[in-house]
Amino acid sequence: MNNIAAKKEKSSSKRIHKGASLNARKARMGWIFVLPFVIGLLLVYLPVMIESLGYSFASYNKIAAIQGGGYTLTWVGFDNYKEVFSMTVDASSGETFIEMLFKSLGSQAVDIIAILMLSLFIAVLLNTKMIGRAAFRAIFFIPVVVGAGIITRIDATSAEILATASGVLEGIDQGAVEGGGLGSIASSMDIGAMFENLGIGGGLVDIVSGLVENIFNIVNRSGVQMLIFLAGLQSISPSVYESCEVEGASAWEIFWKITLPMLSPMILTNAIYTVIDAFTSESNVVMINILGEELTLSPDPIQSAKAWLYFAVVALALIIVSAICSSFVFYQRRNDD
Amino acid sequence: MNNQAKITKESKNKIRADFDRAPLSERLKAKYLNTYFYKKILMSLFKFLLLLGISYVILYPFISKILQSFFSPLDMVQTDVQLVPKYPTVQTYSLLFTENGYFTALLNTAIISLVCAIIQTFVCSFIGYGFAKFKFKGSKFLFVFVIATLLIPPKILASSLVQRFVHFDIFGIFEATGFYEALGLQSGIHGTYIPFLLLSITGLAFKNGLFIYLMRQFYRGIPDELEEASYVDGYGVFKTFFRIILPCSVPMLITIFVLSFSWQWTDIFYTNIFLPNSDKVLLTSNAFWSTMPETLKTISEEVLIGNDTAQASFAAIVMNTAGMLVVAPLIVLYLFCQRYLIQGIAHSGFGGV
Repeated sequence: MNNIAAKKEKSSSKRIHKGASLNARKARMGWIFVLPFVIGLLLVYLPVMIESLGYSFASYNKIAAIQGGGYTLTWVGFDNYKEVFSMTVDASSGETFIEMLFKSLGSQAVDIIAILMLSLFIAVLLNTKMIGRAAFRAIFFIPVVVGAGIITRIDATSAEILATASGVLEGIDQGAVEGGGLGSIASSMDIGAMFENLGIGGGLVDIVSGLVENIFNIVNRSGVQMLIFLAGLQSISPSVYESCEVEGASAWEIFWKITLPMLSPMILTNAIYTVIDAFTSESNVVMINILGEELTLSPDPIQSAKAWLYFAVVALALIIVSAICSSFVFYQRRNDD
Repeated sequence: MNNQAKITKESKNKIRADFDRAPLSERLKAKYLNTYFYKKILMSLFKFLLLLGISYVILYPFISKILQSFFSPLDMVQTDVQLVPKYPTVQTYSLLFTENGYFTALLNTAIISLVCAIIQTFVCSFIGYGFAKFKFKGSKFLFVFVIATLLIPPKILASSLVQRFVHFDIFGIFEATGFYEALGLQSGIHGTYIPFLLLSITGLAFKNGLFIYLMRQFYRGIPDELEEASYVDGYGVFKTFFRIILPCSVPMLITIFVLSFSWQWTDIFYTNIFLPNSDKVLLTSNAFWSTMPETLKTISEEVLIGNDTAQASFAAIVMNTAGMLVVAPLIVLYLFCQRYLIQGIAHSGFGGV
């Protein structure tokens, strides 16, 4: 009843105001705010995107310099995609591109979960009062600022130089030259042996030892997530914790009943960010395959086809992850949607 | 135990209560000899050690690379040298400074990063505000593109992007007026700093989608009543944004600024596709970080004759040293500003998604 009355009032007020209503004016203002992005999209990004999508449906023929140079593109439909589907990436094992894609999806899923858990754990630790907290915070955010990108790039390039020089990787102090060099510290062999004694399945051992080998990578990739979680933790009112303690809740209960639900919007944000970051980072196997070793500035139809196929898979993964996460999200107040 | 307080009347409306205190030894015993205290000590020790371990993981590459930067070519053939050089030298540094032109590159990078970061911070907050507070048709559809700019790795688009900037034009105006010929630019705006600025102004530069997303989340957390009050007081939308909303979001803006500044500073990809020629060298140009100074190359070839692996290892070490030189100013800046960064993000409190 009330609702109908409100609706009637609204429509009558619309009739009274001739010209643009407040909502319409606000909508126009919204367009002005996002205008820079729209201009960029129309002027640069969209044409570039469409061009790249076009390449994936075309075949590329270079015209010899004598005949004027340049290139021609001819429409071939889905041929490039068909080729990508049947393409083998590893000659020795006969692994196809699609197999590699799914393998990488699996390992990325493990990494993403590890990154989310580690960053949440460390954010909770850094949020408690302790000795040297300021120093630890400063250290933990160095990877964010340094933007690990350049370091990994340098490591990759130097590994490449070494590999071409020596053929087999057994140089003088290879371990020291290559990035983390942590393999020697936490040898996965030891961990494997330790877990085998516990009688845990081999699959799990592989996952855990893989994570430990990868620890440098994972810690370096969880900086931004830590920052976001820390911000979320700071925004939880201390009085909530106080009342819980008064009621006799243990730290364990407080974490599961208060901290986690209050942080759930941040978990969604972080999950989305981590998925995007993991699938598009240069250290990703599929990305390495797509981009190739050399940065070519001439159009490559197969590369475009691979990239767009991969993009579709990643978009799908993103939709699934956000759907799963948003069903668990707890909002303190629902202000919109 | 006698817990009765001794009450004495000091003046007309003031009394004084004295309690018997337990002796010091007993008090200390009660305080420190219990499981609660031990548990606390153990927990904090555990936490401390854990964080120390992870800090080590983060710092180890830096430490090893800094130590290695003092290696001389001779150290490459010493089997007992792992981290600390036997024949330390600062030659690598001095040659990178002089032959690769470190200081010009540093100045160029500092200027371009500062300008781009300021523009990006402002533009992304502007766009983020538009997405957060205004409901207009197509806003969700447009936001999908924001996420898409994050998702599609710019490398895939590299060739098209370069073509776009070589033949950059708006409705054919530039070509018709002979704009580029007049300025003597053979390859359009490619090879100048303009692509960086253009991408920054339109919120398309490196990871700007993330900044837009973060700002949107932040502005969604700001109550609508704030703006309504300002509208009632006669402010327009823009005045509200500049006078009310921006000052509210300073901590978040600092965070975005720091991220965009440092990511622009360490960006290899855009630098090398937009500025391929060597007259404008940034720190992340291939001309600086992956080019070995000539003198150093000849020295290493002389000392390590025929030992290709050792030469390659030394080349890798020089590259690592260059990398350290790229991030060193950034880390120094960060150490001064980290308090603001962490405070900024800590007080921002992202709203719901």
